[in-house]
Amino acid sequence: MLTVSDLHAGYGLSEVLAGTSLEVKAGTVVALIGANGAGKTTTMRAISGMLRPTKGQVLLDGKPVQGLPASRIARLGLAHSPEGRKVFGPLSVEDNLLLGAFRRLPRFFGFHARAARDLDRVYELFPRLRERKKQDAGTLSGGEQQMLAIGRALMAQPKVMLLDEPSMGLAPVIVQEVFRTIRRLKQEGMTMLLVEQFAKQALGVADYAYVMERGRIAIEGKPADLRRDERMLAAYLG
Amino acid sequence: MTLSIIAQMTVSGSLMGLVYALIAYGFQLTYATSKSVNFGQGELVMVSAFVSLTLITLGLPYWLVVLGGLFFGALLGLFVERAGVRLALEQRSEGWILLTIILGLLFFSVAENVWGRDDRPFPTPISQQPIHILAVDVTPVELSVAVGVFAIMGAIEIFKRQTLLGKAFDAVSADRDAGELMGISATQTVKLSYALSGVVAAVAGILVSPITTVGPTMASALVLKAFSVAVVAGLESGFGVVVVGMFLGALESIASFYLGSGWREAPGLVLLILALAIRPTGVFGKTLIRKV
Repeated sequence: MLTVSDLHAGYGLSEVLAGTSLEVKAGTVVALIGANGAGKTTTMRAISGMLRPTKGQVLLDGKPVQGLPASRIARLGLAHSPEGRKVFGPLSVEDNLLLGAFRRLPRFFGFHARAARDLDRVYELFPRLRERKKQDAGTLSGGEQQMLAIGRALMAQPKVMLLDEPSMGLAPVIVQEVFRTIRRLKQEGMTMLLVEQFAKQALGVADYAYVMERGRIAIEGKPADLRRDERMLAAYLG
Repeated sequence: MTLSIIAQMTVSGSLMGLVYALIAYGFQLTYATSKSVNFGQGELVMVSAFVSLTLITLGLPYWLVVLGGLFFGALLGLFVERAGVRLALEQRSEGWILLTIILGLLFFSVAENVWGRDDRPFPTPISQQPIHILAVDVTPVELSVAVGVFAIMGAIEIFKRQTLLGKAFDAVSADRDAGELMGISATQTVKLSYALSGVVAAVAGILVSPITTVGPTMASALVLKAFSVAVVAGLESGFGVVVVGMFLGALESIASFYLGSGWREAPGLVLLILALAIRPTGVFGKTLIRKV
């Protein structure tokens, strides 16, 4: 569903990605783990078009999308829930969710009725968001904002979802809740690429995992195999 | 006697102030999506007014003149965005300030060469005969300013609040990158906001011209006051510009009556200085909180 090959990208003259390749098959959850600064977030940004790759290829559902503006890639069916959540603070929770479905809703009127079922689905997944739907997104707690960011990405009914550090800065209880949600989305057949610092939890939900080091994929494999890998044990799972 | 003069000055001044408010509203529209404004907005008002005048002399019916003027205003807005703003924004530079000023000067020269330097009357089918309402004389043309201003601002506010595309405006304003990730093209949104801002300028031109006449220099006085209004009210104040615009209009018409017409520009400038000194975010503005 998503194939990345030999991706190069960076900021200014400093190259962060030095030829990253990975694949996310339809209906699977793939984890991308690694230390701070290894290039996980940059990989996500280069895939979704927030950052223009200097070299390499990104195939979304068989179509090359590298170099397209982020908005085009999003309309083609890739939803990226970015690092730091980036909810629309001054807008209400419900407006945030509606805008998540921007790519497939009528631009002027009647969009609310068309989105009603998807809204219900997100509210059922995150009942807290229903309680706060009229509230400004900026006033939510960190955990609630993360739920909103995931809900907003779901509203797009994407072919592939990129989740960047959904656990960042959250209390352990909330982290558990986020991972429960990811597990549930996986059961529903969502295709996901997940960036995480918490390697253990990420390996717990993933079908396949890549470990990044200095802009390249250093180790890859099934979670069960990675758990036995000595380099993994030493560096990430200790 | 003096009371009725003050009432008269307040009413006709504040109706004029609505035009300042409308131009200031045009600043807000582009500021929201791109944090940039067109410093040549006054020239857009002027050129649209001249184009409408040309359409009138061609003998077109008034409604077609209005439609044509608005369409032309939108085109001018798009031109300013393409030629003066987009490149600067892509490079995250402040070059749009100088570029939009230059485009304004360019429009000014073009207007002088095409339509001449003289101020010309702007014929309108709306009556100029004053009607007497509660001790105050108002002409239907002045009333048409109020109707026009509220109609166009109301329509745009409905667009912004009730349609998904309008909400996308706010989304881009709040977080450009996150908007892109939802499939909202920031470039398209900025374009649209400049087109709307051009339409608003054209409306201002068509509404004010029957009162002030049309001439290449009509822009500078209007835009200076519109700036004062935008800064005093705050660039994110929405309808706040209406209140400040009407207040400023009334104040300057009273000042010019009692102190002489040379003092007409004074209140706007004094307000501007006071606002910048005391409340830089504007009377109705939200204090900017920057999270790091």
